[in-house]
Amino acid sequence: MSLEVSNINGGNGTQLSHDKRELLCLLKLIKKYQLKSTEELLCQEANVSSVELSEISESDVQQVLGAVLGAGDANRERKHVQSPAQGHKQSAVTEANAAEELAKFIDDDSFDAQHYEQAYKELRTFVEDSLDIYKHELSMVLYPILVQIYFKILASGLREKAKEFIEKYKCDLDGYYIEGLFNLLLLSKPEELLENDLVVAMEQDKFVIRMSRDSHSLFKRHIQDRRQEVVADIVSKYLHFDTYEGMARNKLQCVATAGSHLGEAKRQDNKMRVYYGLLKEVDFQTLTTPAPAPEEEDDDPDAPDRPKKKKPKKDPLLSKKSKSDPNAPSIDRIPLPELKDSDKLLKLKALREASKRLALSKDQLPSAVFYTVLNSHQGVTCAEISDDSTMLACGFGDSSVRIWSLTPAKLRTLKDADSLRELDKESADINVRMLDDRSGEVTRSLMGHTGPVYRCAFAPEMNLLLSCSEDSTIRLWSLLTWSCVVTYRGHVYPVWDVRFAPHGYYFVSCSYDKTARLWATDSNQALRVFVGHLSDVDCVQFHPNSNYVATGSSDRTVRLWDNMTGQSVRLMTGHKGSVSSLAFSACGRYLASGSVDHNIIIWDLSNGSLVTTLLRHTSTVTTITFSRDGTVLAAAGLDNNLTLWDFHKVTEDYISNHITVSHHQDENDEDVYLMRTFPSKNSPFVSLHFTRRNLLMCVGLFKS
Amino acid sequence: MSGKPSKPSSPSSSMLYGSSISAESMKVIAESIGVGSLSDDAAKELAEDVSIKLKRIVQDAAKFMNHAKRQKLSVRDIDMSLKVRNVEPQYGFVAKDFIPFRFASGGGRELHFTEDKEIDLGEITSTNSVKIPLDLTLRSHWFVVEGVQPTVPENPPPLSKDSQLLDSVNPVIKMDQGLNKDAAGKPTTGKIHKLKNVETIHVKQLATHELSVEQQLYYKEITEACVGSDEPRRGEALQSLGSDPGLHEMLPRMCTFIAEGVKVNVVQNNLALLIYLMRMVRALLDNPSLFLEKYLHELIPSVMTCIVSKQLCMRPELDNHWALRDFASRLMAQICKNFNTLTNNLQTRVTRIFSKALQNDKTHLSSLYGSIAGLSELGGEVIKVFIIPRLKFISERIEPHLLGTSISNTDKTAAGHIRAMLQKCCPPILRQMRSAPDTAEDYKNDFGFLGPSLCQAVVKVRNAPASSIVTLSSNTINTAPITSAAQTATTIGRVSMPTTQRQGSPGVSSLPQIRAIQANQPAQKFVIVTQNSPQQGQAKVVRRGSSPHSVVLSAASNAASASNSNSSSSGSLLAAAQRSSDNVCVIAGSEAPAVDGITVQSFRAS
Repeated sequence: MSLEVSNINGGNGTQLSHDKRELLCLLKLIKKYQLKSTEELLCQEANVSSVELSEISESDVQQVLGAVLGAGDANRERKHVQSPAQGHKQSAVTEANAAEELAKFIDDDSFDAQHYEQAYKELRTFVEDSLDIYKHELSMVLYPILVQIYFKILASGLREKAKEFIEKYKCDLDGYYIEGLFNLLLLSKPEELLENDLVVAMEQDKFVIRMSRDSHSLFKRHIQDRRQEVVADIVSKYLHFDTYEGMARNKLQCVATAGSHLGEAKRQDNKMRVYYGLLKEVDFQTLTTPAPAPEEEDDDPDAPDRPKKKKPKKDPLLSKKSKSDPNAPSIDRIPLPELKDSDKLLKLKALREASKRLALSKDQLPSAVFYTVLNSHQGVTCAEISDDSTMLACGFGDSSVRIWSLTPAKLRTLKDADSLRELDKESADINVRMLDDRSGEVTRSLMGHTGPVYRCAFAPEMNLLLSCSEDSTIRLWSLLTWSCVVTYRGHVYPVWDVRFAPHGYYFVSCSYDKTARLWATDSNQALRVFVGHLSDVDCVQFHPNSNYVATGSSDRTVRLWDNMTGQSVRLMTGHKGSVSSLAFSACGRYLASGSVDHNIIIWDLSNGSLVTTLLRHTSTVTTITFSRDGTVLAAAGLDNNLTLWDFHKVTEDYISNHITVSHHQDENDEDVYLMRTFPSKNSPFVSLHFTRRNLLMCVGLFKS
Repeated sequence: MSGKPSKPSSPSSSMLYGSSISAESMKVIAESIGVGSLSDDAAKELAEDVSIKLKRIVQDAAKFMNHAKRQKLSVRDIDMSLKVRNVEPQYGFVAKDFIPFRFASGGGRELHFTEDKEIDLGEITSTNSVKIPLDLTLRSHWFVVEGVQPTVPENPPPLSKDSQLLDSVNPVIKMDQGLNKDAAGKPTTGKIHKLKNVETIHVKQLATHELSVEQQLYYKEITEACVGSDEPRRGEALQSLGSDPGLHEMLPRMCTFIAEGVKVNVVQNNLALLIYLMRMVRALLDNPSLFLEKYLHELIPSVMTCIVSKQLCMRPELDNHWALRDFASRLMAQICKNFNTLTNNLQTRVTRIFSKALQNDKTHLSSLYGSIAGLSELGGEVIKVFIIPRLKFISERIEPHLLGTSISNTDKTAAGHIRAMLQKCCPPILRQMRSAPDTAEDYKNDFGFLGPSLCQAVVKVRNAPASSIVTLSSNTINTAPITSAAQTATTIGRVSMPTTQRQGSPGVSSLPQIRAIQANQPAQKFVIVTQNSPQQGQAKVVRRGSSPHSVVLSAASNAASASNSNSSSSGSLLAAAQRSSDNVCVIAGSEAPAVDGITVQSFRAS
């Protein structure tokens, strides 16, 4: 701390002379690199004579370069000086930029790879000799330092030494780091360091390591006592230590949250308030509004029966109205459209079905029906069942979307314009009359995409369908005319996932271009672009209150975004592979994520902590879903297995152990929460869906 | 800085770096596109650059594979990975087996090339039988019903074949499985669930075998349909036996039903029921989810009895019991193929039983036919070792019957069938054993009476093209002859419906027979009583044959108590051998004491 204070004071005191001295050193550096035209232009701009230039010695250049690499404020001043030069000569500026970029990795001309290797070896010895309670946390430091030393050796052109260095010390790392290391080892030339996204990310954003205060003080003492200038330099530039009070973590707790490309999540990343409660006021408005209207309009003999039916419904709902959830966002936090009368009737129908729901528990397991898609020549890439469980939409590798009716009701088309004009628009059954009964079919095909369809999503109103594809477009299909009504073009790369908001009107998509986008159905432009992931955003999911969006990425992180502000409000690390599926719990507080590493992790969105890890699957977990009452978590994957987990027990154990936040579960006993495992014969699972009465529907592809 | 030449690097063989294209490969590729000579340094630079680009393309292709819910990387994934990089994808590399290349080595180099077959346009235009690919179909079935997986064909069997094998080898594992959650989701008996609450688990309790009410009803329906008179219903029952999962708990009772049925009906000379029971055995063999190794000690004696028994039907000269022997021989061959191991030596023991009957000069002609049929189904080597050396002796046995010197018409028919069987199975083997000039004199000297006919058959086989050689071991068991034989036997045989009523018998000698039958199998469901003919001659036949029936019953009781399949088979065979001597008592000094008991009883009866 005292060193930092002295540096700041020294910098402020010599601001003017320091600035000019830096300029002279820059000119000296340009002259050294034989960039004569740039040198002459810069001399004219700055009114610097050759006499002043000769006063600067070689050692002064080295000192200024060291100061530039160390201090961040000097970068802005240097860029300001560069801007006149950029306008004059492009190629010279490009070479100058390349030279300066590479200079970041080179401290001096006499680069010594052996010196770095010796420093790393001493650090490794220190970690191995430390006490057992601190060893696992200190070992988290090895990977980022190893990678940065590799970058430095590679930037100086010593590629063979860099490879030997990695070969010698890679056995220290855990298995999930080897895969990330493999990507970095694709680099073989110094110029490629400037283009690789991971290298740029590790340079801009520091690698985050959570460490207890005692471990951190041990580490600092090691760096200072043994005069490890090399390691101290790397630590100050590229590492960020998020210290916490309490005991150090053991091996399991360290591994639980490690594995991401940018280390672990900072405490600051999960500080913001998240309103994870549900929007309950919307339902009451829908119920109170239609209550007086039918009574006034009805003059039939059935009028006395209707008030009797309405009264028992009002009482339990009115009692709920008095309760206010402190964790729920306000109803106008994001603008939601007004519900139409037909949508209100649909919601009433859904509420009535929910009252007949089967209560699932360990003693009452759900029943499941399996839909198998046969004769699919290029494979089923996605499957989706509508919320009312009447339709099944499948996307295929041959760019087509097919919809099946799962009930005896057929899929009917809207009547033509002349017939529609003759209809009575004020009649009660207008929604039934406008459909053509003669056009009923069991299945319909939707053609339009030019690449595999990776996701279909039904609108909550059951009249629209979204699909996204490898051809970088998102299409909105009408389920009344069975045609494509809108094509959204915003992503330039394949779109991996698309989801409708639970309240309709909004949908979100994620893509190969590392972004997720929030759209509205009546606009061609994206309303929000969620930027922050370092790799593909593989899956996306709306929160039940439509205010937040969760994304899973190939950089092995799960993020929660606020739709109102577009910011990342939660960052959760712990997966060892790409995140392949996401699901919110019924209460909105917990998030389950499945991954290519065969694991399922439960997160608490109130503080972003890891609740538990479920280990049972032996292949990619392709689909996760919660039961409607939130007591059972169903997961399935490409290993032809359906697993049912006791989520009620998970939350009970988590809340009772909620005292110590920084420590996670000590033991990952596999069978504590597992209720049942059901294998299918020859069908990997594509989708799972709980109906409103808690019947589980599975969709699989028969693998011949 | 950018113009600085990089140092030459040696090819890396590290696992972490993965494979990389060698400079030699780059030179070969350069030659293929017309570049005459490529220097070593340029080849190395190109190899490294191409290797890095290929690895990036493959990594992106893995992303497309994951999002398509697949675990195999296909050519289409590579195409989409190239498309993302704004590179034109390769065309013409669509392959179903994921490997579009063929491997060839010549001139000291290893090459992979794209197979490009030449297609005859005439064939394409002439044949219009191109099939339209099947349309998409959506099938639904119950996967789980309240936490239990129903045993429908779309669901996996509750206990796989490997689990059944593990149960038979190590029964102690069952105690652990009772407490395992994985087995709890499958339909099992209630005993395992009850064991969870009992602190002290006794091994003896696990030996109990409970069937649910549905399973008992299923067992009753299946067994009645398989041996009933309704042929379409029998077909459905056999189809269900051959394909349904979840039958492993009823398997012990099924095998016992077949074994007891064969014992009773072979005494009653009921050919139709024997045929039905053999078809049940075949259905159980065809079921892929059943593990039959634990029940071979009941199935193999039953099948062996149907092959080598002396008399299988009431009227040997009219009924086609030869078809049953052929069918059972094919069943035995399939059993040996499926279950023969180095520890049980199943095929060796079966072959020994057949060859022992062949070595005996006093074997009945029907049993001789069965032995030859059984050996011929076991393969060419068995025919070469066991049948060919005995051809001369078989000729001496059947020559008197075929030349008309025998009075019995049954023996004449049997001799004809034996000759037909030998002419069918021996010529392909003889063609390989003997040299080209086939003369009738040589064959007559070597094989006796059958020599000239065998010579003609061998000559015919030599002149036929190689593609038309009959395959001896056919995997498919033909059921058409056996079905027609069953219908014939049912029509001709005067068999009453299954009933437990005992009808009056005119002869005094029949009463001990009926009493003996009921005493030995009191709980048997099917007891068939033959009506006696009013003719005096027929009564004499019945009276004279009562002694062999008693002997057979004793042998059957003895065989039932034996747990070793070899001993059981020997018992059945010895019982058949004893019946070959009508009223003559033969005492073999070196036989087992049990066989001595049979001989003593036979001596006393006569």
